[in-house]
Amino acid sequence: MKLTRRNLATLLATVPATVLASGAAAAAQPPTAPADDLKAARDRMQQNAAALDKASIPVATEPAFQFKV
Amino acid sequence: MALIPADLFFAPVTELNARLKAREFTAEDLARAFSERLQQQGPRFNALALSLHQEALRAAKEVDKELKRGRYRGPLQGVPYGVKDLLAYAGQPTTWGAKPYAGQVFDYHATVIEKLSAVGAVLTGKLAMVELAGGGGYRFPSASLTGPGLNPWDRTRWSGGSSSGSAAAVAAGLVPFAIGSETSGSIVTPASYCGVTALRPTYGLVSRHGAMALSWTLDKLGPFAHTAEDCGLILHEIAGGDSKDPGSAGKSFYYTPQYARPLKDLRVGYAKVDFAEWAEASTRPAFDAALTVLKASGLQLVETKLPDFPYGAALSTILNGEMGSIFEPLIQSGKVDELADKPQIAGLKASLELPAKEYLKAMRLRRLIQEEVAKLFGNVDVLLAPGRPTIASKLDQPLDRSPAGAAPPPKDPGFRSIIQMGNLAGLPALVLPCGFAENMPVALQLVGAPFAENTLLAIGRDFQSHTDWHRRRPQ
Repeated sequence: MKLTRRNLATLLATVPATVLASGAAAAAQPPTAPADDLKAARDRMQQNAAALDKASIPVATEPAFQFKV
Repeated sequence: MALIPADLFFAPVTELNARLKAREFTAEDLARAFSERLQQQGPRFNALALSLHQEALRAAKEVDKELKRGRYRGPLQGVPYGVKDLLAYAGQPTTWGAKPYAGQVFDYHATVIEKLSAVGAVLTGKLAMVELAGGGGYRFPSASLTGPGLNPWDRTRWSGGSSSGSAAAVAAGLVPFAIGSETSGSIVTPASYCGVTALRPTYGLVSRHGAMALSWTLDKLGPFAHTAEDCGLILHEIAGGDSKDPGSAGKSFYYTPQYARPLKDLRVGYAKVDFAEWAEASTRPAFDAALTVLKASGLQLVETKLPDFPYGAALSTILNGEMGSIFEPLIQSGKVDELADKPQIAGLKASLELPAKEYLKAMRLRRLIQEEVAKLFGNVDVLLAPGRPTIASKLDQPLDRSPAGAAPPPKDPGFRSIIQMGNLAGLPALVLPCGFAENMPVALQLVGAPFAENTLLAIGRDFQSHTDWHRRRPQ
């Protein structure tokens, strides 16, 4: 098949851009062990818990379940 | 078949509708032009999840019949649009941007799509998104079934997420408007990075029936468009009570700019440190100029502090609790490992371990946050902050990376937590493009009291009448 400039332009316009911009494509995810990622996620949850512990919540405070502002 | 002029791809909804009614072209012409453009150019930005070309042409033909009979349904009639691929469209895949759901098909339309169809808007496609709207916490722009969202202003940069395709498609003129969602920053961030106007409505104002749930008490749907005026017109149509959404506030929204309070009567709270120190140095001239425009319009800018709470911890804890419950079947089945982003997979797995007491503590704290935020809006009408303090990050950078050579962070937190605070308290936010830094868009966000969308839109409309940032378009 003869490839015209118009064909080429259309092709380039529709190729997923990650292919075109391969040099700057998505950050390659560094090889990490799933256990490390899980530990990091658990650590973040613990940090959140520690931050919440510092807040003083009066005993009468009910959760914001009825969320109609 | 009329030829659609190229400049119309960036025209506001109001102009498209007026020219349709003037018979300059038909709704079918318009739908065909936008739909073909979305099909051809959407993949350049990894913005297209699914084309609905044939469905769009059928809907547009019906609009043409109505217009011929003189039946007008409002300013969205005949206007093409796209939706984030977390909204159900009957009979077609709804992937939630995630491989485990690539084959998912619902047999009903989301309420938002039903409402827009009822006023004659023409859906041309589903738009790409970060997988599961980012639930679990993604670290890389590649966290999507369709690849990283690419920014129309520079395809080596990220579009922002999780409503990546919605923002990019509007910025690139592939749809006149789009619907996205926000749980914590998923409208504000991509709108800021792509330089489009967007509105995060008050929690409960827009029905989420048919939308993927990430967090029942945080999720909201809202429009991306070219102008604040368009956002108002779109919200007018998609807002309203819905018995199918348990979180629905049961309220409607009427876009009434004619009744807006004079801007000189409005007090706008802001923190100088946000613009002078937290904002990346290259963005500061744009922010300074934008503040000058706002002051010149008569708004009273007053320095304000946000109530002191651990907003991020509260939001993450609530999100983990609700998301863990929603996606427990995905996690337990092991299919979660099919997601693209490894830290996100780990975050989802860890969420199942969240103790109930932590979730409840965060929800009790949220009550206090709501009360203090209500007091804050006794002193100011609106809060103002950068949409994001940086321009869009490069694709080859992890999203949690600090900018190279960054100065030590300021001691004053300013409004750094305004996205988390706004979402915890269910507040509306309007994103307004306000300039460029390093040839990338920079934006402001205005945050209002619950159901104060008309106030935000009035400020936005005035700002956009004095600036042309919202009219700029990528090459």
